[in-house]
Amino acid sequence: MIEVSNLYHSYNKDGKFAVKDVSFEVKEGEIFGFLGPSGAGKSTTQNILTGLLQLQQGNVIVAGYDVKAISNKMFNKIGMSFEQSNVYSKMSAKENLDFYRKLFDVKTREPEELLELVGLGDKANVRAGEFSKGMKHRLTFARSMINNPLLWFLDEPTTGLDPAIASEIKDIIKAENKKGVTVFLTTHNMYIADDLCDRVAFIVDAEIKLIDSPKNLKLQYGDKLVEIEYIKDGETLKETLSTIQEDDLKHLQDIIGKYEVQTMHTKEATLEEIFIKVTGRGLA
Amino acid sequence: MIKKIWLIFLRDLKVNKRDFIAVYIIAFPILFAVGINLLTPSINDTTVNLALIEGENPAQATYLKDFAKVEVFKDVLAVEQRVAKRDNIVGILPKGNDYYILQQGNEAEGVVDFAKALLTFYEQDVQIANTNAEIIELGRTVPPLKKLLVNIAILFTSVLGGMLIALNIVEEKVDRTIRAIHLSPISRKTFLLGKSLMGVLLPIYGTVVLVWITGFRGVNIFQMLVIVLVSTIISLLIGLIEGLNNDDVINATANIKILMLPMAAAIVAIELLADKWQKFFYWIPFYWAYKGNDVVLSQIATWQQIIGYSCIVLLLSSVVYIYLAPKIRKGLE
Repeated sequence: MIEVSNLYHSYNKDGKFAVKDVSFEVKEGEIFGFLGPSGAGKSTTQNILTGLLQLQQGNVIVAGYDVKAISNKMFNKIGMSFEQSNVYSKMSAKENLDFYRKLFDVKTREPEELLELVGLGDKANVRAGEFSKGMKHRLTFARSMINNPLLWFLDEPTTGLDPAIASEIKDIIKAENKKGVTVFLTTHNMYIADDLCDRVAFIVDAEIKLIDSPKNLKLQYGDKLVEIEYIKDGETLKETLSTIQEDDLKHLQDIIGKYEVQTMHTKEATLEEIFIKVTGRGLA
Repeated sequence: MIKKIWLIFLRDLKVNKRDFIAVYIIAFPILFAVGINLLTPSINDTTVNLALIEGENPAQATYLKDFAKVEVFKDVLAVEQRVAKRDNIVGILPKGNDYYILQQGNEAEGVVDFAKALLTFYEQDVQIANTNAEIIELGRTVPPLKKLLVNIAILFTSVLGGMLIALNIVEEKVDRTIRAIHLSPISRKTFLLGKSLMGVLLPIYGTVVLVWITGFRGVNIFQMLVIVLVSTIISLLIGLIEGLNNDDVINATANIKILMLPMAAAIVAIELLADKWQKFFYWIPFYWAYKGNDVVLSQIATWQQIIGYSCIVLLLSSVVYIYLAPKIRKGLE
């Protein structure tokens, strides 16, 4: 669904690249996570893929269309939910969706159905300017589905949403993916990526460091750990120990034999920990 | 493509109806036309007003009514009070066997002189039939002040069209919706045309309203619309560029007001300056649009003139377009 090879982009064309030699491919029906800290090149890549930024160097095929000579018809096949909500504040939620659906040349979804889906059914006739940040975000998310996209770009889809709504949004993404929609997810939230993505790419300093499935990454890079909390000389102590390294194992046995253990959990490495380990960078 | 251009226009219209500034801009031609009607006299209105004492000299009053607008009052005090008011009116009051002229002091010199002459004519019993003057009609059937104001209003409406375009684009920028539009099957050209339509239709509607309300119904409306259409190009370009380069409505509208400067300069040049200065204003598209409107409103325009003026406006606007087009394209990115 997406093929990118040797992509470069420089905003000032001065040899400083926002994206450098980026190559990857996204298969049909896949949820592909594009992960990295702010300024890593996530948005630049996404903007080139969606035609918002002009392709300077490299080859990009999106939904069967060459981005070098972008065709307006391509937009009938893709949808995009922006990180920053962008809806007409002087129009109601329904008017926003009604206007946007008429711009497409393909069969579109009913605005009422989409508003219901994102929990804004009772706000259909309220002007978007009166919405909270979270509600605007949900309206932007709903709008991205209006043309039944085959390829769905999601930029931080759960940012600013309360946990319950975020969970509903994740369920919608999973449901759409089950219908066959390919998802390109840009985020710095490793939990949502871990939960949703079939494969992830780590991008740091304009370059992709690795691409793999979260499961493989955990097997390859994750240590098996035990988190133990115990009382020593009246004081509660907490330690994280490896279940593979000999010294840690011996120390663990000592603790269990000598002290009163309060809690003990086996712990799998998170995607965030793997990201830090691989790239040497945090996600902030 | 046309359907989508229309769709963008209808969205803008819907939102404009909810915005006070936009509603004011749309209503402006009606308000201005009514204002012109209230403030300017018609071609047959006399500009000389006389105040007399009622019944003091009915024959004199009847005589003077042929030459001026006569108002009568019960006594000298009432005449004095009337003359003291703001407009141009002089009193003719008896003093013994003669009459004297009562004036406020700030009346136009011609009005007082005309009153003096009328008084003398009456005393000498001069009748219209006694004149041996030959009457030559210049064929002016349109009140000059009214024509000037309507012409200015028509040009001003085209600038307001640009202002409305800027308002609608700034709205898209503030709401960040341009990015969403770019990710729909609408080309940037279609988007710009859709956004520009308001700037074309407002001057057309405004001109028709102005011409209709102010009583210039006899003009050739097609000639008028040709001039209006070509003169909107410049406002349209400025509206687009200001809309795309501003994130604030006030800034955008304030910058569009810059257009008023060449517009005012063109009008002043045509109306007040001698022929030798005219060439310095030829570069202003509004100069030629004003000239075009003037001949149409005077109902003496030929199609040759209209095409000539339109071509000059088009040429000058093309130069502006060549300069601004790259900036407009960049502003959309």
